[in-house]
Amino acid sequence: MLLSDILGSAAFDGDGNRLGAVVDARFRLEGRTSPAQARMVALIISPRSTSSYLGYERKAASRPVILDRLLRWMHRGSYLVNWEDVAHIELHRVVLRPGFERRDAALEE
Amino acid sequence: MTKHASVRAGRILDAQLHLLDRQVLDADRVPIAAVDDIELTDIASGDIAVGTEGPIIENLLSGPVLATRIFGGRPPASRWHRVPWGLITELGTAIRISAPGSDLDVTWVERWMRDHVIGRIPGGRHAPE
Amino acid sequence: MKRLFAVALGVLTAIGGFVDIGDMVTNAVVGSRFGMSLAWVVVVGVIGICVFANMSGRVAAVSGRATFEIIRERLGSRAGLANLGASFLINLMTMAAEIGGIALVLQLITGIGPLLWVPLAAFGVWIVVWRAKFSHLENATGMLGLSLIVFVVAVIMLGPDWGALARQALVPAVPSDEAPATYWYYAIALFGAAMTPYEVFFFSSGAVEEGWRRRDLGQARLNVLVGFPLGGFLSIAIAASAAIVLLPQAIDVTSLSQVALPVVQAGGTIAFCFLIVGMLAAFFGAALETTLSSGYTIAQYFGWSWGKFRAPAAASRFHVVMIVGLLAAIGILLTGVDPILVTEYSVVFSAVALPLTYIPILIVANDRDYMGRDVNGPVANAFGLVYLVIILVASIAAIPLMIVTGAGA
Repeated sequence: MLLSDILGSAAFDGDGNRLGAVVDARFRLEGRTSPAQARMVALIISPRSTSSYLGYERKAASRPVILDRLLRWMHRGSYLVNWEDVAHIELHRVVLRPGFERRDAALEE
Repeated sequence: MTKHASVRAGRILDAQLHLLDRQVLDADRVPIAAVDDIELTDIASGDIAVGTEGPIIENLLSGPVLATRIFGGRPPASRWHRVPWGLITELGTAIRISAPGSDLDVTWVERWMRDHVIGRIPGGRHAPE
Repeated sequence: MKRLFAVALGVLTAIGGFVDIGDMVTNAVVGSRFGMSLAWVVVVGVIGICVFANMSGRVAAVSGRATFEIIRERLGSRAGLANLGASFLINLMTMAAEIGGIALVLQLITGIGPLLWVPLAAFGVWIVVWRAKFSHLENATGMLGLSLIVFVVAVIMLGPDWGALARQALVPAVPSDEAPATYWYYAIALFGAAMTPYEVFFFSSGAVEEGWRRRDLGQARLNVLVGFPLGGFLSIAIAASAAIVLLPQAIDVTSLSQVALPVVQAGGTIAFCFLIVGMLAAFFGAALETTLSSGYTIAQYFGWSWGKFRAPAAASRFHVVMIVGLLAAIGILLTGVDPILVTEYSVVFSAVALPLTYIPILIVANDRDYMGRDVNGPVANAFGLVYLVIILVASIAAIPLMIVTGAGA
């Protein structure tokens, strides 16, 4: 499977309502190998914009302030959905489980 | 070889931000490719059973997949040029791997151009003076 | 002593390397039509290129990543590719203009038509790109390009009414026989000529070529902050010479001989010889920079091996791109299109493409993953943002003004 099959997909809730687009996929490194394995743990969904955050999804990135505000405004309402809340994946279409949880998408690093 | 902190367990990565479109450098720090797409382990198409773990990154891809990522469609898997995830030694502003570029499919056009065009022009194999 | 020499060399090559055919033709055209009333744009453009060249060099020295790698990484593959297409085409136009400029200078000396010289000039550029060391080519063309100081000498020898020139420059007004739209069209052209994106592609890639580290940043900043303004001063002298000689006689600049006219009138044959050397060096240097930039942008976008510090066989696709680029530039010129015309369009299209290149630089210069503790300070960001606004306005206004004014006719 290609990552680009998932990125840009339309996301729907269990009732078939369109939520927005999958704009990024979050991975966590795990295991004892070097490099550690990268496992997909969450998807980031944006209701408005499929364009890039240009790096401003990180909490640490906040300068220049005007660009930071602009990019955050363009992506307002974005949220993170854990992999456990993903019910169904097919080409260009992702369906979430009923009662999925919207989490803060900001990246601490 | 000691592990670089950037590839240790526990790190969180966002694909668009940390992986896609980054420069890949080989063991000698020579640029060999940009990350055009990423190959994941297959998940059974369709419904995902509760408790199924998320897919794992198998390879970074470069080459023809760039065109399809931008313009749509997909090339046959035989034309995916892969950089195996296991070769990665550092995930920074560039991605470093432990193998020489000549071992990998992603550099075949580079080698073909070297052997059939540039290497045949006088002076092509010497550093400038 | 050696250190002092290195500093002087860096500054001098930055002066000589600043002026190319775009700056020369645009400033002469503007001087001959608008006098000194657009000199302020050169000042604005020079400060802008200082801000962003400095930023891109700092990013390259600290992170090891050149400008087009950053453009793709930040904008993504799709917007990055759109930027690459636009940048490559504009760069190709500029390459054709510089090579055409070399041919026109050779025609000025020999009287033999420019088409014969085009393939020879392109071949000369290729040989140097193929075999010469990066620092040598930069130093040689930069030093010889200093001969263009002859424009400053010419302005002094022409003994102009300094008060009138200063008044035009300091209290700019649209000349009564020109439309405001035309005035602003040429303002954008001058701005585009001063801030051409190839300069940052070349500058940041050059930082990687020469293996800059943090400790080299002081020298780099000095080169930029002293060299570029002095280069801008040369540009203004070109405009002034045209304003003194061409404007009163209503002579239009349609070829290099009109650009040369004020210099010849002031200093005769000796001045003309300096001018020829200066123009050849400046155009040849810029032809090298644009040829390398064509390779840099494409190789960096696709992640290929690049750089003159490698043997050509170790960066084969990079060299293939440059050869193809040079052949394309020859192709453009052999259609018989006037290089001066190509130049005039290339600076305006440069202005259109400016935001695509300068926004990612500003963003990455603020990114701690890349820059660590060397991220932009508040002053650099303030300048960067002010210029972002200017760049956006110029970019958006360029094409409508081009249409309204019939490309400044």
